[in-house]
Amino acid sequence: MGTNFYGQLTKALVILIGTLVIVPIIFGFIGFFLPSFGYFPILGKSEFNLNYFHLSLNIAGISKSIILSLFTGLVSTLLALFFSQVILLYLFKTRAYNYIKVLISPLIALPHITMAIGLIFLFSPSGLFFRLISPWLTGFDRPPNIFIMPDEYGLFLILGLILKEIPFFILVSLSALQEFSAKKIFDLGKSLQNSNFSSWCILIFPLIYKKIRFVIFIVIAFTASVVDMSLILAPSTPSTLAIRILQTYQSSDADSLFIASNLALIQLFIIIILLLFWMILEKIVSYKLSFIFLMKILSFKTFFINKIVVFTSVILFLLSILGIISSLIWGFSANWYFPNFFPKSLTLDVFINFYNENKFIIFISIFISFIVSLISSLLTIIWVELIEFLQIKKIYLEWIIFIPLFTPQISFLIGLQSFIILFDFDSYLLPLIIIQLFYVIPYSFIILAPSLREIKKEIIIVATSLGKNRLQRLLSVKIPIVMSSLLTSFAIGMLVSFSLYTPVYFFGAGRITTLTVEALNLALSGSRQDLGVATLFQIIIPILILITVAYLSKKICKWRF
Amino acid sequence: MLINIRKNLVKLIFNLCLVYSFIHFIFPSFALERDESWKDVLKKASGQTIYFHAWGGAKNINSYIKWAAGEVKKKYNITVKHVKVSDTANVVAKILSEKNVKKNNNGSVDLVWINGENFSLMKSNNLLLNEKWIFNLPNSKFLDFSNDPSLLNDFGIPTDGMEMPWGVSQLNFYYDTKYINSPPRSALELKNYIIKNKGRFTFPQPPDFVGTSFLKQILIELISDKKLLKLKYVTQQHERELNTLWQWLDEVTPHLWRSGKNYPSNYLAITELVAEREIDLGMAFNIAHASNSISEGKLSNSVRSYIHDKGTLANVHFVAIPYNSSNKAASKVFANFLISPEAQIKKQNKDFWGDPSVISINKLSQKWKNKFSTLSRGLATLTNEDLRMKLEEPHPSWVKVIEDKWIKKYGSSN
Repeated sequence: MGTNFYGQLTKALVILIGTLVIVPIIFGFIGFFLPSFGYFPILGKSEFNLNYFHLSLNIAGISKSIILSLFTGLVSTLLALFFSQVILLYLFKTRAYNYIKVLISPLIALPHITMAIGLIFLFSPSGLFFRLISPWLTGFDRPPNIFIMPDEYGLFLILGLILKEIPFFILVSLSALQEFSAKKIFDLGKSLQNSNFSSWCILIFPLIYKKIRFVIFIVIAFTASVVDMSLILAPSTPSTLAIRILQTYQSSDADSLFIASNLALIQLFIIIILLLFWMILEKIVSYKLSFIFLMKILSFKTFFINKIVVFTSVILFLLSILGIISSLIWGFSANWYFPNFFPKSLTLDVFINFYNENKFIIFISIFISFIVSLISSLLTIIWVELIEFLQIKKIYLEWIIFIPLFTPQISFLIGLQSFIILFDFDSYLLPLIIIQLFYVIPYSFIILAPSLREIKKEIIIVATSLGKNRLQRLLSVKIPIVMSSLLTSFAIGMLVSFSLYTPVYFFGAGRITTLTVEALNLALSGSRQDLGVATLFQIIIPILILITVAYLSKKICKWRF
Repeated sequence: MLINIRKNLVKLIFNLCLVYSFIHFIFPSFALERDESWKDVLKKASGQTIYFHAWGGAKNINSYIKWAAGEVKKKYNITVKHVKVSDTANVVAKILSEKNVKKNNNGSVDLVWINGENFSLMKSNNLLLNEKWIFNLPNSKFLDFSNDPSLLNDFGIPTDGMEMPWGVSQLNFYYDTKYINSPPRSALELKNYIIKNKGRFTFPQPPDFVGTSFLKQILIELISDKKLLKLKYVTQQHERELNTLWQWLDEVTPHLWRSGKNYPSNYLAITELVAEREIDLGMAFNIAHASNSISEGKLSNSVRSYIHDKGTLANVHFVAIPYNSSNKAASKVFANFLISPEAQIKKQNKDFWGDPSVISINKLSQKWKNKFSTLSRGLATLTNEDLRMKLEEPHPSWVKVIEDKWIKKYGSSN
């Protein structure tokens, strides 16, 4: 009877967890889908109609916003992918290859807005760049009256996005490279008289691409609907569609919820269109003739192109570093007026004041990300265990947890908001943690689940024969084996949660503010010194998380299989 | 017949209420009972937490609110949490949506900093606590309601005791005397200045409230018949009255900072731009803003404020309690503290906020009178004499029209 009872219990648990995860995701969709057709019974509207499409497409400048979103999403993904491959190609087979991971990890760990803020500090007319060449070269004794950023085509938004996505693509490509004998294939290509570049493109890239295709789709969905970076780097007359949705949703017009939901649906269409377009692009590129044609173009004057590409990559890397450094200097500056390249004096006051005033925010930011990441790792372990207990080979529905990553954040959140309004939550922390879980679980799952499932059967059999029960096996055998993945998943979970902006903005409702939200507010209106300090914390905390986890995994994971 | 009696009874009660509130209105210090019921309010409020939704963009204002929160914690054991808002319209939207889903108690907003079109919208949607509560606050005796109509009228809309005056604002401009001799002091002069000094002027992007106020200021200066602005906006009658404003903007916009393709997000971003000398002229609604920024080391001490010759927009800002506030008693106690002489003098102090007090000096004790009269105004703050030219706010219905049209014409066309 015992096993039967446990079997039933496990099944019930699997169904329960599955439901708890799937239902909000479904409602996240329904919550903006139905109102966009004018259906929202709580507000007394229960008739379907297409009026809101008409209304939302007639908002002033909305087509420009849509084009801007399409453009920035597509171009930034393409460029980031291109540069990630070029950088890998040049570092492949050099000694630096072994250090790439160390070098880019901090860049990946930083929140998106940190990079955006760095760009402001560099490129605004009173930024570091003009200070560097003024007044000796330009004659400017005051910031020039030129219009650099945010530019009307969203080029700076693209720049900001690729600075974040290049390291990300490099990281996922690196792990893809480990899965096949890339070096051998590369040498094979070289022995057939191909250049480095063409060996990479013909032989290695397709293999990498197959493995990271999924990630590319996520990046497309993200970049075409990004909110936080748009607020800082996108033009404001008009801004990207994501920002327009946010503005509409918050306006006090009677129909704002319906129009915003409708725009959220349009935002989803945009992602779908981009993904379809990308797939067509894949088809075209993989078509033999066009591929050869492309290779011909790329190998034409390779030397010249090489130089430009390498130069650009170096510049991009320098930009991210310089942006960060200038944010840090601002945090400690006193009296730093144009055109001084360096502040007249440095001070700790701003830092101390900021810390004293924002202690709680810093604490709550770390607390939330810790809790969210912990729950998310635990859920993953429990889920994998339960599924294994039931001896189910493959769960087809597992891909559902990735849906929030493919959906525009703003759309999904509007949907969830309409759903959550049904429960009369008194707490703001609880819904926020639940919502963040939807953005963190996919990462925990993708890192942790495979390593749990790859544990060799023999080890488990040995453990069982030693009289260990399921729980003991999990705690004393499985978890130690996957400890390094567990720690990685925990760290990534914390980093993802820490950098989330839109969910906190929406569900924290001003009552719960995290450092990321605060930094963005400062970027829009605060003093540059405070912004510098906020950025400093945004850099320190993720890096501390990384270091702690690296240290722990060295200490704990002494033995490996 | 039963219905009749009931009807009459209701009528009677209604009339009694009317008389009662009338008495309160005429004699704010009347009614012994008030102290009695205030004790109940204090008792109810003790140990409670309220969420005060207030624009949270300025550090000095935030610190001031933090200080006030600390004081009511000490005095009345009330915890005030400041929810930093970027646009008060969002708060109105939130309360409206709560009303729509019938969340009539335990709303998320307990007290809100508000005025103008946001108040008007809340009032017309019945989103505010409507029991003339402001006259029941003990400290309301310091406000001179009978002589100062602006305390009971918000953009021309009667407040009906639904919002408590908190402070006084007047649009003012500032410039650095080191680089500019005489700043432009009218819409016309400003236009010429902008055209001559390409890229050195801008305003916060409407619907930011300072940005919108700037547009209203220009409209008031240009419109031929100012009385029209007191009326509710009607498209058929008033649309062409706005043409003078659009003409002015058509001429000016290409010469703005970043060619009018981008705007700073609010008046604090403007301060940074003036400090960096990206632009020449700044603007704020707080008359002590320039002085404040000088003492914070943000602006150079050669900066001075000025207003236009015909005067500038002036208004009162208020705090109001939403109808579904989760804790009305504690909100009242906090509002009462905010208009105490102690809180108002601190607010008027340029080293904290510099926002002029709403209480009437004549109604204070000698001790407080002295304190108020010795308060320094700050280096760059205009005197009351300089600020005497005040322009009244247009009817709130104009705001939405101006904002929407501006967004359509200039805010979404690139």
